[in-house]
Amino acid sequence: MKTRVAGLLFGIGFGFWLCWAGFTRYEVILGALRFRDPYLWMMFGTAVVTATLGLRLLRRSRATTFLDRQPVTWSPVPVQRAHLVGSAIFGVGWAVAGTCPGPVAAQLGHGQLAALFTGAGIWLGIWLRGRVVARELIDGGEPAAADGAPARAPRPSPGACAEA
Amino acid sequence: MQFFAEQCPFYLAGILMGLLVVGMRWTGNLHLGALGSFVATQGFIARPTGAPSWRVLFLVGTAGGGLLYGLAAGDLHPTFANAGFEAVFGAGLATKMVILGSAGLLIGFGARMAGGCTSGHGICGVAQLSPGSVVSTATFVGTAIVVANLVLPLFARGS
Repeated sequence: MKTRVAGLLFGIGFGFWLCWAGFTRYEVILGALRFRDPYLWMMFGTAVVTATLGLRLLRRSRATTFLDRQPVTWSPVPVQRAHLVGSAIFGVGWAVAGTCPGPVAAQLGHGQLAALFTGAGIWLGIWLRGRVVARELIDGGEPAAADGAPARAPRPSPGACAEA
Repeated sequence: MQFFAEQCPFYLAGILMGLLVVGMRWTGNLHLGALGSFVATQGFIARPTGAPSWRVLFLVGTAGGGLLYGLAAGDLHPTFANAGFEAVFGAGLATKMVILGSAGLLIGFGARMAGGCTSGHGICGVAQLSPGSVVSTATFVGTAIVVANLVLPLFARGS
């Protein structure tokens, strides 16, 4: 329960931040990609430095999590083909739409209704990918879950911290 | 509040995002990734057994944050309009439906295949120096830059 509350609160912070930083605006994203507006890159650099330092500090000080007193930790993920192919496909969509999953959710809350179209596309794309994986599983001889959702990934999940 | 109506200074936005990533990990080794939250939400809607996971609540919260911002900045005016997008592709609901829907499809499919998006791989994964995330980020940034600069101007009205 506490984790769910934490998730909700962090989500609210994330959504608020996305709007305040301007990432729910098409021109901010495309401005960055077309090298007319450096904001995104400068924010990104600052964020990565902050997060890297903070995470290092936590791990070095053997910090434990508030919710379950486990050591704060993460595991690096080796590069896989799916990272490259998937990211290339994602990059195309990102440049065309000028948005991505997080900002789409924030846009919906913010009343930017065109995000309904982007969101529907993302929803379908996620679902289709799930179907593709399921079919690979069936061809590989492993049973998929009864409702068609993939039972298990055929190889280790490519997510840094297993997204899917 | 005029304070929130202005774009947050980049260094503050960066520090806040960094602290958000660190805060989530410190709280419960929670991974900040929007794509994962979409996947979790879709999974929950398909099979709503038990309570929704924290990732579902995170997605709900993200939308809620957008709403909260709208109230704080005083710009909560629901509309299908999108000035930046329209300047490139033209106005028209059908245009938005087709282009945003198709682009969304690529975003959802590709990001799930890669196991993450700009938040999960780009910020969280890179901060963890995870090779998969670094390569993913370089790939989607590089691809997006190519598309934005070489492909879009061919098809779009504006530049």
